[in-house]
Amino acid sequence: MADTPHSDAELIARARAGDDRAFAMLVERHEGAVAAAAIAMLGRGDDAEDVGQETFIRFHRALAEFRGESSLKTYLVHIAMNLSLNALRRRRRSLLRFVSRDQTPIEHVEPRPGPDRAADTAELEHVVRSAVARLGEKHRAVVVLRLLHDCSTRETATILGVPEGTVLSRLSRALRELEAELSPYMLGGSIAEVAG
Amino acid sequence: MTNRELEIAVLVREHAEARFTPGFAERVIDRVHRERATSLTAALQRQFVRIVPLAAAASIALAAYNVWSSRRAGTGAIDAMLNLPQVTLAAAYSPAALFGQGGNVETP
Repeated sequence: MADTPHSDAELIARARAGDDRAFAMLVERHEGAVAAAAIAMLGRGDDAEDVGQETFIRFHRALAEFRGESSLKTYLVHIAMNLSLNALRRRRRSLLRFVSRDQTPIEHVEPRPGPDRAADTAELEHVVRSAVARLGEKHRAVVVLRLLHDCSTRETATILGVPEGTVLSRLSRALRELEAELSPYMLGGSIAEVAG
Repeated sequence: MTNRELEIAVLVREHAEARFTPGFAERVIDRVHRERATSLTAALQRQFVRIVPLAAAASIALAAYNVWSSRRAGTGAIDAMLNLPQVTLAAAYSPAALFGQGGNVETP
């Protein structure tokens, strides 16, 4: 059979009929979006992998009811974000239980590279990921949805269950924090240069 | 958004980690298979839990009816509950037992 690209709707219909290969294709297609959300929120590791798997398992359970009112990617990111926020809450509770109050839990303790170092791709990757990871979880959630997934302010507000004004204020603050961290790597750099 | 903010957005998007460890789709499909097997067992368990009280109530009602209907026959409690007939040698070799209920043997 020719290797033709299938639409999400077509693959969903086949998956509903019990075709696991079609479901696997959907997982492969949307793994990136779910991974970006889960890893940005939780960091690389078992928690993010669990959230990723659980996201697709929940989608599989809901296959019969999925009407495609929103795009599949938005639907999956919505689930992944909710599961990530729940995982962060659980993580915070367990930290509160085991860490004494005078110790502040730091999720990502990584040295911040100086601005004079050459910003090759790997280093820039490290700096950007660390800067996002250092944001508070509420601000990080907004950054993940608005900047990573290009969700609208309204979609972000719906997913996070907060007013649109809150999304805007959190985004503004997160951008200020990110700018403070990333400005050494942005000086004189146009968007095209950075993206390239 | 200002240009600078857009630049930050591009940086974040370009450098986000967007892959789980290799074999993610296979692991998800494995879980789907496991879940399918578990859900069949769970469905059977749910049906069993629903049927058990009904079956128990029906058994008790039947035993009570048996005891009530054989209260004057002088049978034991267990025999009465289970509606066991009294078995004697004479009853076992009776024509009715040997040839069925209508087993009248024609005598010349």
